[in-house]
Amino acid sequence: MQASSRRWWWYGVYLAVMLAFGVAVHAAGKRVDYSWRWERIPQYLISDDGTEMKAPFDGFVSIAADQKSLTLKELKGGRTQVLSGFDDLLVGDGDLVFQNDPLARKRGWVAGPLTIGLWMTLKISAIALLFSMLFGLIAGLGRVAKNPAVYGLATSYVELIRGTPLLVQIFIFYFFVGTVLKLSAFTAGVAALAVFTGAYVAEIIRAGIEAIPRGQMEAARSLGMSVPQAMRHVVLPQAFRKTLPPLAGQFINLIKDSSLVSVMALTDLTKAGREVVASTFSPFEVWFTVAAMYLLLTGTLSILVRRLEKKLAHD
Amino acid sequence: MTDTQADVLIDVRGVCKTFANGVVALQDVSLQVRRGEVVCIVGPSGSGKSTLLRTLNALETISSGDVVVLGQSVHAARVDLDRLRARVGMVFQSFNLFPHKTALENLMLAPLVVSRTPAAEVRTRCEALLAKVGLADKHDAHPAQLSGGQQQRVAIARALAMQPDIMLFDEPTSALDPEKVNEVLDVMKLLAGEGMTMCVVTHEMGFARAVADRVVFMEAGEIVHQAAPASFFDAPDNERLRGFLGQILK
Ligand SMILES: Nc1ncnc2c1ncn2[C@@H]1O[C@H](COP(=O)(O)OP(=O)(O)OP(=O)(O)O)[C@@H](O)[C@H]1O
Ligand SMILES: [Mg+2]
Repeated sequence: MQASSRRWWWYGVYLAVMLAFGVAVHAAGKRVDYSWRWERIPQYLISDDGTEMKAPFDGFVSIAADQKSLTLKELKGGRTQVLSGFDDLLVGDGDLVFQNDPLARKRGWVAGPLTIGLWMTLKISAIALLFSMLFGLIAGLGRVAKNPAVYGLATSYVELIRGTPLLVQIFIFYFFVGTVLKLSAFTAGVAALAVFTGAYVAEIIRAGIEAIPRGQMEAARSLGMSVPQAMRHVVLPQAFRKTLPPLAGQFINLIKDSSLVSVMALTDLTKAGREVVASTFSPFEVWFTVAAMYLLLTGTLSILVRRLEKKLAHD
Repeated sequence: MTDTQADVLIDVRGVCKTFANGVVALQDVSLQVRRGEVVCIVGPSGSGKSTLLRTLNALETISSGDVVVLGQSVHAARVDLDRLRARVGMVFQSFNLFPHKTALENLMLAPLVVSRTPAAEVRTRCEALLAKVGLADKHDAHPAQLSGGQQQRVAIARALAMQPDIMLFDEPTSALDPEKVNEVLDVMKLLAGEGMTMCVVTHEMGFARAVADRVVFMEAGEIVHQAAPASFFDAPDNERLRGFLGQILK
């Protein structure tokens, strides 16, 4: 009874502090003479603008009698293009249009720039995560290898990456590696993030492997298993459980670090935020929204990992 | 000697072992074990018993000498160690069961991965082995849910699952509560009775006397004396052995 009422008291303290913080932020917003326009934000998340159909080339428009389809005849050339399935016409019969002019609109809900940016961030992070696992596993195994060449290479990779700022690495990937290998901005961005995170994953995996008692490897070897077999079936599964919490932390970092690829020509969530700020002049609302969207990603990942941990703990 | 050379499953010839830190663990050790023999190795702590046992399946390297197991020179450069180890079972003081697998999975892993035997066949064999060590009802238990004695019996069954020709035991009962010791020794007696070739490092003198064909006494990295249990315990004709027995039988 005593203990539980004290507990409630501390919950109260927590709520009070959070509330005070909220009020302080609100008051600070008032003081700077800023007009909050939250109502402008939703359209950048999702809008009912629909999608426009654009002219693939210069030409003349002719509209069918039932207004349900239109034909575009190329100005200098023989091509024709028939468009149908739209809801609103944006041109008249006989109009001359140029390439990329809007011809018609299909109504419906479409993702706004922030949502598209979120999707881009998710895509970059997910692909980088997969590759960072791969790089990290290989380098982590290299870090516990006895072979001096393997050990040396793995160690150099880890030290090189951990000793330089991610932003610098991104520039190197974008301007140097990307140019030499003719990578797209997307590939270069994913590669930079995967290589960066892989170095940290390697150290986590190394620590996980070293935390497994030597007797496990010896027992497996004494049964006739090779080192790779023992690693795969005995050591790594145990190391994986031990490393799940730090790995999850690293992957949450990966999502946040991905905001740095916005320096490339890549419209991720952060870049989308900058663009929306430029067109709305509502930086406060936009950045709060962007922060909330990152939280959504990292929070979801946290919850998924906690579930996995529980599941592994049970069996 | 009436035995043919082929009956010598373990032949240790003049083995020396110096660890990287300079500790001399084995000095000119020679030992032969024939098919079906049970050899118990006793001696004070640090005398090199574990080291000797671990050189037999190359968990430990040697500095000089030769170890021939099942006709193969264990420490030669071109030996298929994995295949040889599969034929030599080992039981550790600290069990070393795989904690992420159930008892039955512990047994089945190596046969499935190493010998690529069909799963159904492996399962039948492993279930029979668990029943043999008295754990038919513990298939699905994880090591953490088993007592020390039960874990060590699973570990013995796991080694047997590879159908080895030789079993090595390194103080298999030293980590157990006193009341659990006999359940493990009973399994080992059963194996000895079936004719398994066994090398057992142990402090259980009762077991050595009852089960061993030969008892080997090590001290300071050397084999000081070896004899059949009757003469070893009752009429030890070696000064250092008498000192050791006097210590532990006090
Ligand atoms: N990996 C190692 N590196 C260095 N020295 C070692 C190593 N393993 C064992 N030794 C040393 O070698 C000697 C023999 O050790 P060993 O473990 O073989 O003894 P033991 O007879 O099994 O002793 P116990 O009864 O305590 O198990 C000891 O002095 C020990 O300290
Ligand atoms: Mg020992």
